[in-house]
Amino acid sequence: MIFVTGPLFAGKRDYIRSALGLDEETFAGIAVWDVQEQAETDRPEALAAELAQNDIVIATEIGGGVVPIDPEQRARREAAGRLSCLLAERADTVIRVCCGLPQLLKGDWPC
Amino acid sequence: MFTLIIGGAGSGKSAFAERLVQSLPGDRVYIATMQPFDEECRRRIERHRAMRSGKGFATLERYTDLAGLTIPEKRNVLLEDLSNLIANELYSPDGRGGYAALQGVEAVLRRAAHLTVVTNEVFSGGTDYEGDTLAFLRTLARINNTLAAEADTVAEIVCGIPNVLKGEIP
Repeated sequence: MIFVTGPLFAGKRDYIRSALGLDEETFAGIAVWDVQEQAETDRPEALAAELAQNDIVIATEIGGGVVPIDPEQRARREAAGRLSCLLAERADTVIRVCCGLPQLLKGDWPC
Repeated sequence: MFTLIIGGAGSGKSAFAERLVQSLPGDRVYIATMQPFDEECRRRIERHRAMRSGKGFATLERYTDLAGLTIPEKRNVLLEDLSNLIANELYSPDGRGGYAALQGVEAVLRRAAHLTVVTNEVFSGGTDYEGDTLAFLRTLARINNTLAAEADTVAEIVCGIPNVLKGEIP
């Protein structure tokens, strides 16, 4: 599984789709994205294991701003971060994309 | 030796820092800076205690004035975390300002065989801040940058994986 992360609108999906030479439809069949939105669960390991069944998993980093005053928002950010850690553990390859540029964090370049 | 670890919320920075310090030979000291203000803080502290248990850390709880803290010499020290220390120095009744936080870290560094400091990446969620928040962010950023300049190794942790910004992971 390839895990792609990075800030909002960084070009994560475009990068990995074009790096692998996939058309939109094929890509949609083997990839899941915005998984940070599913992060709030009592069973993060089970969620990570389930998501890791996909060939490509994409999450937006949302933990880099000022700690929110609202406890729910605070918990949501942390849960998203921890889900990303679990996905990175399960991934063969981890790539972070910033301004469309990929940085390899784990494994080998997919192409 | 001095290592600075930075990361966002839930980035895995604490677990990484603990593994790093655990891999170093010698006795380990953990300086905990979070005050148990409320239930959420207590849960957070408990979670970190559970993570550290069995890893051979002697824990010192210290909220301000690290310069006045007597730790045994030549230990591998893990300080977690800088944001809490700075908030304590800025806002606690016995706090003495941001500079005291920096001086405290530097005092620990002089005594330690290896110091690892965990700090927070809280600077990429916007720029529109004012008052105490702005002052806190400015102070934290200034001290982060000062310590990064002094550190042998600086790594940003991304989903549990180090992105090395300076030096090499010891």
